[in-house]
Amino acid sequence: MMDILEIFKEASIGSLSSVWQIAIIVIPLMIIMQLAKDYKILDYISRFLKPVTDFFGMSKESGFPLLIGLIFGLSYGAGVIIQSSKEGNLSKKDLVLLIVFLASCHAVIEDTLIFVAVGASGWVLFGARLIVAIIATYMMSKRLEKVFSLQEMDIQREVIKQNI
Amino acid sequence: MVFFNSVKEGAKKGLETTIMLGKIIIPVYFFITFLRHTPALDFIAKLFEPFMNFFNLPGEAAIVLVMGNFLNLYAAIGAIKALSLNPFEVTVIALMLSFSHSLFMETAVVKKLKVSASKVVLLRVSLMLGIGLLYGTLLGGLIK
Repeated sequence: MMDILEIFKEASIGSLSSVWQIAIIVIPLMIIMQLAKDYKILDYISRFLKPVTDFFGMSKESGFPLLIGLIFGLSYGAGVIIQSSKEGNLSKKDLVLLIVFLASCHAVIEDTLIFVAVGASGWVLFGARLIVAIIATYMMSKRLEKVFSLQEMDIQREVIKQNI
Repeated sequence: MVFFNSVKEGAKKGLETTIMLGKIIIPVYFFITFLRHTPALDFIAKLFEPFMNFFNLPGEAAIVLVMGNFLNLYAAIGAIKALSLNPFEVTVIALMLSFSHSLFMETAVVKKLKVSASKVVLLRVSLMLGIGLLYGTLLGGLIK
């Protein structure tokens, strides 16, 4: 019985401190994001990342969530993605591609450093994750393009049929 | 004032996001904390032990992969420290775990984005096994 209480205490303290750690990053992050948006700096960042988002066939609005997830982590990236989705800036394709990229490569600083601390090679880790994420996202983007163009063809075919 | 309005709006969004993430994190954190205190993880690790050789890893490395995937990377690091692994083995494990870790927590967050959780887990686990095959099995085989 004592054990369960101990575990409960551990989980309570641990989960609350995780939420606190998120709050102290996410609140300033959202304030900076809002300021950047209102002062048109976000446009500048998106334009800077345009070659990257173009390469993956994403809208330029995906650049900022991509950058945040890559540096800070999946939860923060997801937070920014959700806020951007609410404002209607991201398409379903953007969302899928962002998740494919961030699922394989996120929080690169933290995740790499914890392994470097136990003797793994940081550059091998970082390089492998980045390369794999780029390949996976690119492949998915090509596949989605095909899916979307097939859907379009179906629609056109329907239109032709109706006209006949 | 644009500035104060931006700060206010940003703080509101930050708080909303924190609450949204908190609602996911707290229950999952409770779940994995209880899970860690059960023999379940040791049991699962035992099942995987025979397969570790395939990646040129010792059988006992299974517990590191299980803890990293079911709990989080910090738990995995604790387990790595408890074993005596050489730098090559640590790099193989680190590579595998960087693609797939904290699956309960991170998948719960990703589900918030209305994508298929099982597909995301499948992608991550495949990448983990793929990189293990490439680096551990192939490169490890060449080094030997």
